[in-house]
Amino acid sequence: MTRGVLLVGHGSHLNADSSRPVYDHARRLRERGAYDEVRVAFWKEEPSLSRALDGCEADDVTVVPIFMSTGYFTEQVIPREMQLDGPITVRTAPGGPRTVRYTPPIGVHHSLAQVILQRAWEAGATGSEALFVLGHGTPRNRNSERNIYEQAERVRETGRFAEVATVFLDQEPNMSRIFELTEHDEIVVVPLFTADGWHVEQTIPEDLALDGRQRTEQQRRLRYASAVGTHPGVADVIEELVREAWAPSLALPGGAR
Amino acid sequence: MSDSLSVEREHTPADARRNSIELLARGERSTFGQLSVAREPDGWRVAGPATDAHSATDLPADADTVRAHVRFDESGRYRPLTGALTLPGGWACCVDESSGPALAVEIIETVYPLAVHHRDAWQRGDLPVIPLDDVLSRQSGRYGIAGQLSEQGRSAAGEVLCGRCVRVPVWRGDRPDREAIPCPEPCGVLVSLCREAAVWESEGAPEPAAPDSAVAWAAFEEPGNEVREAYLAARYTIPEVS
Repeated sequence: MTRGVLLVGHGSHLNADSSRPVYDHARRLRERGAYDEVRVAFWKEEPSLSRALDGCEADDVTVVPIFMSTGYFTEQVIPREMQLDGPITVRTAPGGPRTVRYTPPIGVHHSLAQVILQRAWEAGATGSEALFVLGHGTPRNRNSERNIYEQAERVRETGRFAEVATVFLDQEPNMSRIFELTEHDEIVVVPLFTADGWHVEQTIPEDLALDGRQRTEQQRRLRYASAVGTHPGVADVIEELVREAWAPSLALPGGAR
Repeated sequence: MSDSLSVEREHTPADARRNSIELLARGERSTFGQLSVAREPDGWRVAGPATDAHSATDLPADADTVRAHVRFDESGRYRPLTGALTLPGGWACCVDESSGPALAVEIIETVYPLAVHHRDAWQRGDLPVIPLDDVLSRQSGRYGIAGQLSEQGRSAAGEVLCGRCVRVPVWRGDRPDREAIPCPEPCGVLVSLCREAAVWESEGAPEPAAPDSAVAWAAFEEPGNEVREAYLAARYTIPEVS
């Protein structure tokens, strides 16, 4: 039996860089050589979600969503477009049946908390700061906020930062009030996004009134980290998700849910 | 996978790639869309469209490098539709004999994802085809309205967009020749165009604007977008034949 991994991302018709992290993670996984094949698929680019399995050669393919939240895309769009029945689908492929495993998105896996910490340290934080996990959020789907809070809680449980809190781009508590939400003078903001796209590179820096990667205000300093989803350590998270998909019984309650 | 499910596959993506590799190895396959593929004494040469330049820029035979190069047209505009007839010209990458024709196939599928498999499957009569009506009817959320697009709108959208793509829409009933790349299912770019077209039918067609090549290729909601303006002309300017 041959085993493959198919990373699925959103992609974009307008932003050429949107899909780059997915290609980067795929390349890292290929270089590690743990799978017979590693391929990619996108909602808005090619190969499309609906046809990507056409090109897979492995008998057993694990589909890993490179998304930060469980929600519309992971629960509706991807299963519909890829004709997935649930965590395991036996699908007719040209020439024979194939097992397709479907994991939760990278954003809900417990090991992503380590990547959040890495991003904070890379931004210059030492642990004495207030760390804010910044999620997109949306008032239209309250479910999308859940894993943002859960990841912040996991980071808090490590005890590596003096304070850990959560803010959002598009719902309360909003990032515009970030200085009101903590009494710490030093703040580090870690965006829980998959790519350095429009929000991470444009709208958030503008809304936070950043000067470069930071902002100082009345003896207080905010530092802005790079997107979690572009970190090379995400490849480790993907490997964890695949391992759990291969052996679901090994998944621990604290793992991907 | 249980033994009961283990049946011999008659035709797999691996077979498709092997077939193409064998054809490349024999020097019997020369074009893929706007790509030309030539057998050379020391390997294979995969090249973009010819230009007036005396010599082509050599790219490393590496999928990431080639992908980065072909993601933009010659004016630097992002190409969200890989089959768009805007593949930049004046480049080539040489695949060394020692790398084998498999790398040449990987380069081709980097430029045109799944093209090798789809062409092979079509020629074997083994390519599942999904028509536009099915694709539009399964859309939801922002794209749900696309399912309300009229027949005239669907036809015009296909004419305008697919006329700008190297892939032949077999989902529409078109018949590709042996060298063509079949398109078995409407792509996300066409769904996006159908979505905008359905909005225009619902809210009233916008005023046409002068086509502007500086507007993003798939920004169909933006006046001056070349595909948008071509669609509006095809759908609303030309009298319908009764």
